[in-house]
Amino acid sequence: MAEGGVIRVSGDSEAREAVGEYKAGWHDPENSTIRFDFGLSEEVVRQISELKEEPEWMTDIRVKAFKHFSERPMPTWGNMSMLEEIDFENICYYLKSSDSTERDWEDVPEDIRNTFERLGIPEAEQKWLSGVTAQYESEAVYHSIREDLEKQGVIFLDMDSGLKEYPEIVKKWFCSVVPYSDNKFSALNTAVWSGGSFIYVPEGVHVEMPVQAYFRINAKNMGQFERTLIIADKGSSIHYVEGCTAPSYSTDSLHSAVVELVALPGSHIRYSTIQNWSSNVYNLVTKRGIAHEDAKIEWVDGNIGSKLTMKYPAVILKGEGSHAEVISVAYSGEGQHQDAGAKIHHLASNTTSKILSKSISKNGGRGTYRGMVTVSPKADNCKLNVVCDALILDEGSRSDTYPTMEVANPSARCEHEASVSKVSDDQLFYLMSRGHSEEESLAMIVNGFFEPFTRELPMEYAVELNQLMALEMEGSIG
Amino acid sequence: MDSASQYLSMSEPDKSNHLWKYTPWRRIHPTGKIAEIPELASATLSLSMMDGSEIPPGVSLVRGSGGDLDLSMDNALTNSFLHAMSNSSNWLLVVESGFRLESPIILDVQTGDVASVAHISLEIGEMADFELVTRVSGGSDWFGLLRTGNIGSGTILNDVLIGLQENGTFLRSDSIEIGRDAQVRAGTVSSGSERTKSDLRYKLEERGGGIKVLGSILSAESMHLDHHIEIHHEAPDTFSRLSWHSACGGDSRTIGTGMLQVSKGAKGADAGQIFHNLLLSDSAEADSIPELEVMENDVVGCGHGTANGPIDEEQMFYLKTRGFDEKEAKRALIAAFLNSTLSEMGGEKLHEWLVGELTLQLEALHS
Repeated sequence: MAEGGVIRVSGDSEAREAVGEYKAGWHDPENSTIRFDFGLSEEVVRQISELKEEPEWMTDIRVKAFKHFSERPMPTWGNMSMLEEIDFENICYYLKSSDSTERDWEDVPEDIRNTFERLGIPEAEQKWLSGVTAQYESEAVYHSIREDLEKQGVIFLDMDSGLKEYPEIVKKWFCSVVPYSDNKFSALNTAVWSGGSFIYVPEGVHVEMPVQAYFRINAKNMGQFERTLIIADKGSSIHYVEGCTAPSYSTDSLHSAVVELVALPGSHIRYSTIQNWSSNVYNLVTKRGIAHEDAKIEWVDGNIGSKLTMKYPAVILKGEGSHAEVISVAYSGEGQHQDAGAKIHHLASNTTSKILSKSISKNGGRGTYRGMVTVSPKADNCKLNVVCDALILDEGSRSDTYPTMEVANPSARCEHEASVSKVSDDQLFYLMSRGHSEEESLAMIVNGFFEPFTRELPMEYAVELNQLMALEMEGSIG
Repeated sequence: MDSASQYLSMSEPDKSNHLWKYTPWRRIHPTGKIAEIPELASATLSLSMMDGSEIPPGVSLVRGSGGDLDLSMDNALTNSFLHAMSNSSNWLLVVESGFRLESPIILDVQTGDVASVAHISLEIGEMADFELVTRVSGGSDWFGLLRTGNIGSGTILNDVLIGLQENGTFLRSDSIEIGRDAQVRAGTVSSGSERTKSDLRYKLEERGGGIKVLGSILSAESMHLDHHIEIHHEAPDTFSRLSWHSACGGDSRTIGTGMLQVSKGAKGADAGQIFHNLLLSDSAEADSIPELEVMENDVVGCGHGTANGPIDEEQMFYLKTRGFDEKEAKRALIAAFLNSTLSEMGGEKLHEWLVGELTLQLEALHS
């Protein structure tokens, strides 16, 4: 029914009926092979590490991170009332539903395979992907990569296998971009991480087709804490796509991921996300990349689902001539708060960056852009441009913009502009005078508003995102 | 609860709060011991006319009681502190309804040579039309100024504050409510004081009210100038523009944070803010946070922008080809940059007077 977190309009009618508005909200019976009790303690952290037979250094980092998480207060900014509702003692921190990570869909347990088939993942893999990893609850259940890429030395594994097979590479880069002490939720992730992707692209290799990870939470009160590390060696390039869905439950789940990108000189990483969690999921994610000389990092970030998202993809422009782009869209519906944005730090000379953020609030939803751009005193001739636009579609919805710009070098050229508006009556009138209904016209205007984002997505995603937005717009009029 | 008790009941603000991100309360407090409310001297206030004429009837400055404060917003810390200290320095500036005057009124605030404070309550009547310049000068090492009050319906007011202190710290807080169809320009010209923390808040409480907030900020040496401006649209058809120009030289740092808030029900609100920063030296820094909170969908528009950059090389080149030397060209471009907001603050006379004051400061910057 959905693909890469994006929903197909035509699909399983039974599931649609079961979940109402949210089209990926069905759940399967929980058949776990290992399930930890609710709650978090040092013991739980050590048990997760032991279960995974990890090296001692990883156990040590986990324990340190757990201590930091316990001592660190909750953030004193953002939607504090929603954050305070998170009950860390009522979350399952590790749940495994399959004994191993398979390389053939036929070997994945049937119920889990059915889930991913309903989400359209195997079909997408055959058509247009270089590799796929599918994570169900805490562990990856399926993993594959095209043989030709494997022969060129591209490593695409789930993070646990990455740690087992390439401990030296993981040790070198793990926590190097996002230290566990960065924030409360990065500490939580480092303490209990499980799953995620580990990618290494060797020097000069270009991975032409995207690789995809698909994350699914199925159980109630589940915590998913995947950890992703992508290293693009000199002159290489890769496009990584991730999608996420979860069933609709009345109780809350927590998704708190950490993603670290390392773009070595001259490389290019593009990281695309379509987040379509159900509206009972807290999505508190730390994503950051370091760009070395002449490297380029792009975050393409779509936030459509979740109860509260707090996500500010960041790039540290460490090497001269490096470039960062963050293109994001957010849709906030009833009961949702999309608190998203971007952070870019210009540490080196001749670095450039661009942030484009688009948000739509509807049915009482709240969309927030929160961003930060800094230029350090030693970074000469930097250029940066930030644009954020918001549409408020009805009464009771809200849009906020909190951009911060700190410039300590006089040669920097920095521009920021933002606007908040409603859908223009002139545009609606024009489209309706050409024979479209008001609802169709609104959907077209919204798709047009999101167009700078959708054109950056692979075609299959873009088409489905447009259809998804049309669905979300249903019933907007009258 | 009185202001002193209110202040003492509050905890030290957190740096994660944008309002206190760049200038912690501890650094701006007169003694640095934040649990203290020191007794400070009273500033001396006097009225005069820019053209040297007598103060006309309809405007008066008297000692006042200070009255009650609205301490519901997050400027409560600053306001309760200033209010608590200004017991013996409360002033009431009353302008009668229908008062009209062409020549600007100057309100001189002499800070003296020791740490001092003043609270000015503005009571501006309806349908008045005049210009007011508040000139702050003196050699005190710490000065606190609280301005509260209302601007009556239909009044047209150009209200400019120029800071010419020789050094020291300046803590300023304005909380002004703007009536129906009133049109206000609130200008700030700042180049004095080594450290400034200023919190300016304007409430558009009634239909049709409008405000333009303008800043011409020149920082040099090791100055640290932190201005926060909030405009609250609480009624339909309200209009606001915030335009803030800062030129930063030496090792100075200027901070401009803005908050445009459009409440639910403020249909037809039209709000915009822009921060421009001109960086003049390698070690100067300019920070901006133009924030928006919009809770009404039926708005004309809400926008904001920031632009930072050095002096434009092409403009420099042009002036040099016309015979300016490097120093003159730079000075002309800085003056033009600051003048673009300065020129909007009031009428011709006021503008000329402000240019004169600012030129002296520019001379000092380049000398």
